[in-house]
Amino acid sequence: MMAYTYLTPDAKLPYCKGCGHGQVLRALGEALGRLQLSPDKVVIVTDIGCVGLADAQFSTPHTVHTTHGRSPAFAAGIALADGTLGGGQLKPIVLIGDGGAMIGLNHLVNSALVNPNMTVLMHNNFLFGMTGGQNSAFSPAGFVTATTPAGNATPPLDLAKLLMASRAPFVARKLATDRDLAETIARAIAHPGFAVVEVLELCTAYATRWNPLTGAQLKSVADAAGYELGILHDEARPTFAATYKRRGEDAPTLPIAVSEIASELDRPLGLVLAGTAGERVQSAASLLASAGMRAGLHATQKNDNPVTQGTGFSLSELILSPEEILFTGIEKPDALLIVSDDGARELERNRFFAAADETTLVLSDDQIALPDLPCRVLRLPFRRLPGPKWAATAAVLAWLCITRAVPLEAFWAGLEARLGSQAQSTKGMLRSFLEQCSLAEPAEAPHTTEQLPPPPILAGQTEGPK
Amino acid sequence: MREAHRELLSGNRLLAQGALDAGCRFFSGYPITPSSEIYETMMKELPARNGLALASPDEITALAHCVGASMCGYKAMTATSGPGWCLMIETVQYAVMTETPVVIALVQRLGPSTGGATQGAQGDILLVEFCTSGGYTLPVFAPATARQCHQMVQAAFHWSERLRTPVVVLSDKEVGMTLESIDVSSLERRPQYERAAFAGGHGQFLTYGCECPEQPPAFAPLGSSERVVATGSLHDRAGRLRKNVPEVLELLNHLQAKIAAHAEEMAIVEEELAANAETLIVSYGISARAARAACRRLTRAGRPVSFLQLLTLFPIPTEAIRRAAQGCSRVAVVEENLQGLYASVLEPLVGKERLVRVNGLGQLITPAEIIEVAEAA
Repeated sequence: MMAYTYLTPDAKLPYCKGCGHGQVLRALGEALGRLQLSPDKVVIVTDIGCVGLADAQFSTPHTVHTTHGRSPAFAAGIALADGTLGGGQLKPIVLIGDGGAMIGLNHLVNSALVNPNMTVLMHNNFLFGMTGGQNSAFSPAGFVTATTPAGNATPPLDLAKLLMASRAPFVARKLATDRDLAETIARAIAHPGFAVVEVLELCTAYATRWNPLTGAQLKSVADAAGYELGILHDEARPTFAATYKRRGEDAPTLPIAVSEIASELDRPLGLVLAGTAGERVQSAASLLASAGMRAGLHATQKNDNPVTQGTGFSLSELILSPEEILFTGIEKPDALLIVSDDGARELERNRFFAAADETTLVLSDDQIALPDLPCRVLRLPFRRLPGPKWAATAAVLAWLCITRAVPLEAFWAGLEARLGSQAQSTKGMLRSFLEQCSLAEPAEAPHTTEQLPPPPILAGQTEGPK
Repeated sequence: MREAHRELLSGNRLLAQGALDAGCRFFSGYPITPSSEIYETMMKELPARNGLALASPDEITALAHCVGASMCGYKAMTATSGPGWCLMIETVQYAVMTETPVVIALVQRLGPSTGGATQGAQGDILLVEFCTSGGYTLPVFAPATARQCHQMVQAAFHWSERLRTPVVVLSDKEVGMTLESIDVSSLERRPQYERAAFAGGHGQFLTYGCECPEQPPAFAPLGSSERVVATGSLHDRAGRLRKNVPEVLELLNHLQAKIAAHAEEMAIVEEELAANAETLIVSYGISARAARAACRRLTRAGRPVSFLQLLTLFPIPTEAIRRAAQGCSRVAVVEENLQGLYASVLEPLVGKERLVRVNGLGQLITPAEIIEVAEAA
């Protein structure tokens, strides 16, 4: 078998004399040579800094040069896509510096957790070399850099420990001068999941100029920082691709067939259902929308709630129309259905009370304090009888009984489709509510599009326009 | 007669559906109101369609994941809102420079900063378009309805793959989260576009080897037998880091030329033009719904105005706007932001003296407000 080479043979590396990057790169070349991975299955992913010049030194693998510190995220995208959707043969190898590792810490932590098939070589020379020797999060305490002339006051981060805490299955820390560096790198690459090797090395342009530091002293830097050396963790943990679950079939959808129960509505109606989050306001509104759709109408439903989920007001603006709905806002509401104090307060704030006029029908729970409104107001015991969880549904049903905007059959059909086996008991409960409010369904539905005057039996319960 | 199958669906839901119909195979997402439903839908639907949907730890990672997957040849998308978009800009530029197709659905909310998560707005339009250093056109499509979300994301994938560029689908809370009755049996599915693959001799492949400035280079995925050398830094056709050589500038010019050359083909508009109308009302996104309603009301009342909805915002559909505005003494641009951001881009095209801005903030612009402006002629 022909032996692969990866680095350009006899390449003159673009690094200063004695720079650790060259040592790591040669060790990587040696490691790849031992493993003999097909070069077209290797992707060298680099980013910014002197270490980022490494991609140009490779002659056969793919190379992707990325933005500062982001290389682990790009590499994870490559490994995850290939591992789950492709052949699963690709091995991205990230070459990143200590500066990049700190910018992209989140990507490193996430990649360690997710566990794609990728390797990271972190070149830790304790400072930003390319930009002139500024301190990094990995500068040792007391380290003199261009930006810490009196010595670095901040202790250095322990990346290996951090990535072990992030569940990385393979973690090693080596010195650039270690004779077995290539062997450790080869083990990391051969690991089927996320593997990281942090290599402590010299920046001979700045670090050794300003600090009493030689290759022989790298170990004492590690000791002073409390850095453990060697292969610190090596476990076989299933990769993301191995555990990713594909479902066999599409999730079923529930299309609503347009039935023969047609609505005779001849103009758009806009209503606002106002209540409290968690009390099925939006669900009641969508039940009404579905009923309208069953009866051949177009519908839009615009929900509003505070940023929080599950507390405060919940508002649904609903438009039912025989024609396509263009503007989804409600300029003047045809009906306001109010089922809680939260809802009433929001209608006040939200200018819907101000927009209401004598053609607006208000159906409100009978316990809610309302401002003086220029509308017909009908108060019904939505919260007391069907209870808070069914108040909004009851309000929608009461509105339908009064206006007949949509045939009631369409509402009941929608309720049955939604509730399945529980529909009958709910239907019974809602019907009994209608009876107690003298809103029982008349035998013949008076389909009309004009706002109906309330049935005679209700006359005493309504408040006329003020 | 075809039987209608109506469903009550949001723009976000149909945008996700459109992405699936376009052949999206990879999604990496991070939750943010009002876009989260796209993320949730893709997490639910992609595994069943031979795809991968991922939870990322932040928006920067999300887009970087997508770019990595796209370099492997998979159609990729993410979704976010304004605050997430701000984080993605670095990677958007990287995708522009590396000619990597990727689609970003941006569901706007009210800014600045974290602003109002559950309030609609059209304030990110120029932040989107001008996010790239140097003067490059980022294609932007703007649906106004749930059905258009389904259509525009397909257009976005088409152009993203065809020109190898990031493309943005720009909606907002009102378009993304409002539920609408949709006849799902009538949704249009356009043919899926596959990016042009390298077909030359082995070893001849150049990562950025475009043959003419107006077309993207042929594609080879990472992992193929052709060696890919990708970089976000200045490069030659082989992807080698270069400086001060004509080839580098040629390639920079090519990044814009390939978009500009297809500007007219990318233009998607809907028009309701009235003969002899004095006023043309131009709008996009959620405001286009109010604007169209206003035009119809005025026309019914015997005072016809012309209406133009722009579904392609960038490249600017210049010819369509010029044609629609011909003979009109006023061009009103309706959009929900301060100062009229898109109007400022159209000003050189329609002329300052004709341009009228109809703007709003924090709530929907109503048809009545638009009519008031149109009547003030």
